[in-house]
Amino acid sequence: MNRHAASFVALIASLLALPATAADPVKIGVVTPLTGTYAPIGQQVRWGLELAAKEVNASGGILGRPVELVFEDEEANPAVATQKAEKLFQVTKVDFLTGTVNSGSTLAVGQLAERNNRLASTTVSFSDAITGDKCSPNVFRVNARAGQQSAALAEWLAKEKGAGTAVYYLGPDYEMGRNTVAAFKAAAEARKMKTVGEVFAPLGNNDYSPFFGQMRAAKPAVLYTSVAGNDTARLFTQLDEYGLRKNLLIVGASGTVTSQNMGALGKVADGYVTGVGYSPEIDSPENKKFLAAFQAAYKADPDLYGADSYGLIYFYKAAVEKAKSTDTDKVRAAMSGLKWMTPQGEKEMRAGDHQAVQDMYAVRVENGKFRIVSKVPGPQAVGPDTCTRF
Amino acid sequence: MGALTDYVQFVLMPQMFNGLTIGVAVILMALGLTIIFGLLDVFNMAHGEFYALGAYLGVTLASRGVSFWLLLVLVPLLLLPAGFLVDRALIQRVFHQKERHMLTMLLTFGLAIVMEDLFKAAYGPNTLKPDSPLQGGTELLGNFFPTYRLFLVGIGTFTIVAVWFIVNRTRFGSMVRAAALDRHMAASLGVPVRRVYSTTFAFGVALAGLSGVLLSPIYSVFPTMGKDFILMAFTAVILGGFGSIRGVVLGGLVLTQIQALSSLYVSPVWGDPIVFGIMVLVLFFRPQGLFGGRLGHA
Repeated sequence: MNRHAASFVALIASLLALPATAADPVKIGVVTPLTGTYAPIGQQVRWGLELAAKEVNASGGILGRPVELVFEDEEANPAVATQKAEKLFQVTKVDFLTGTVNSGSTLAVGQLAERNNRLASTTVSFSDAITGDKCSPNVFRVNARAGQQSAALAEWLAKEKGAGTAVYYLGPDYEMGRNTVAAFKAAAEARKMKTVGEVFAPLGNNDYSPFFGQMRAAKPAVLYTSVAGNDTARLFTQLDEYGLRKNLLIVGASGTVTSQNMGALGKVADGYVTGVGYSPEIDSPENKKFLAAFQAAYKADPDLYGADSYGLIYFYKAAVEKAKSTDTDKVRAAMSGLKWMTPQGEKEMRAGDHQAVQDMYAVRVENGKFRIVSKVPGPQAVGPDTCTRF
Repeated sequence: MGALTDYVQFVLMPQMFNGLTIGVAVILMALGLTIIFGLLDVFNMAHGEFYALGAYLGVTLASRGVSFWLLLVLVPLLLLPAGFLVDRALIQRVFHQKERHMLTMLLTFGLAIVMEDLFKAAYGPNTLKPDSPLQGGTELLGNFFPTYRLFLVGIGTFTIVAVWFIVNRTRFGSMVRAAALDRHMAASLGVPVRRVYSTTFAFGVALAGLSGVLLSPIYSVFPTMGKDFILMAFTAVILGGFGSIRGVVLGGLVLTQIQALSSLYVSPVWGDPIVFGIMVLVLFFRPQGLFGGRLGHA
């Protein structure tokens, strides 16, 4: 063989050798708010996903292929989310999509996923409709929805206070505020608690004292509220001003007391109870391992968005490995009814509506921190399957 | 009869008191606004942001250990030079042009946007809240009145009377009224008109800042707080008549009482439409307001 032929054969041989070592990555598109009001949530989503991806890649990837996350900023705007998702599906050709925060974005991206024959999951959105009346065969939810949070809280409240407890409702007058109040009221009344009054104040209301007269007259033992942000600071401060916090248990939505207003609330937030799907205090070996890794990598505590996003990667990995493929229909079949391990314990993806069933917790504010006060098992908290599309 | 007195004592009275405390807050904001409009003919769209500035200054100084009572004097004093500068540097530049009304409105609107973003950049988007210096309350006539709100009504009344006194019974006040009535004549009589303008603007925003400090323990402090009362304040100014102190006090009281009492009978979301509906009616039938006229003429 002459020199040229030998080098030619050597070149071909080395080229043929390459594909065996360089595996085609599994691409997961992440459309999440990296700027704007929801950027802190997008940050947690990013941290959770990246940590899980790093761990999965370090242990051999998914079916031997590395996980590659492709991030796009949705600016907390459903219109932008749709465009970015379209780009990820058609140009980057991602195998799976996640990251949407706003419930509107999740629903819009879900429709896009159907058109592109791909699957998507949210790790944050908690509007019940996503796995309820607006469910989609291509959309999954690994986090707890609003109904589960209400159920967990109502369950704890019924055990704590008993049947016949008088509950007063105060919410902000817009869709989320009214829905959350309605959801909890249904859960409370189902557990034989009494509704003694309901009032909706305008969003951004300054002064709640005009409502205190009627509240006092109703003599509630419990106040349920779904206000948020500055409104919470004002409501709680004014309740305290008027001496109404004595003998009143205040409970409410998970978004009512957050790090945004905890500083302003100070001690008037103490005793506030809500229902959530994750707490850094969860005492399981998986959570302790997750906490340690998260804190070491990012020098911050994870919140439910970080934890649920972390769990998503493992969910996808388990499904693809069960299906032995990334083909959409095979993965969808594998995901239905799938059980997988997360920092919150084992979750099950309910086949009927693609909603994750998980244990929920009632947490209470004590000295500026949320402490777990009770656990509600998954099946009790999840609520009925109202999805009729598939 | 018993049911009626009960209704008055336990429902109407506390509701009217709540309306009164909100009314005092609105009047304090609106006083500065009506003075600035009455004299300078300037629609200060950044007035709410000066209210916020006062509150933020209060929070900053309080965190350094300044006592609340000292803040009530210190914050307005600090806002005086700020207001003076804004008038000299910004408003006077467009004051002598033909489209003064439009230009000053746009200018102050832009200033408001810039100030709000500066608050967000300097203090972050989270809510802040200073502690209330007067905790607890008193039982009076079967109703609970928080001490701090009683204090608010008291200090609000004192401030309103003091402002009226300054405008109508002091030499400075007479210079202000003269300049409002006839700028050129006043100047030819030796009134330092430009300085009077800037001082009056400074005074107006200092009042806004004072209300910011006074209200922060019950309404909290956050970057968009300038929008809380500003619409009510403008409505009170329009209802009472631009430039009239008596008018803005009456206007503020009437509007807040209507808002407070209406929430007893209709859903709270109707509060704002009712108030603005009144404003529209007033502008329709009596555009100069109840006591409309130049500053100090009413």
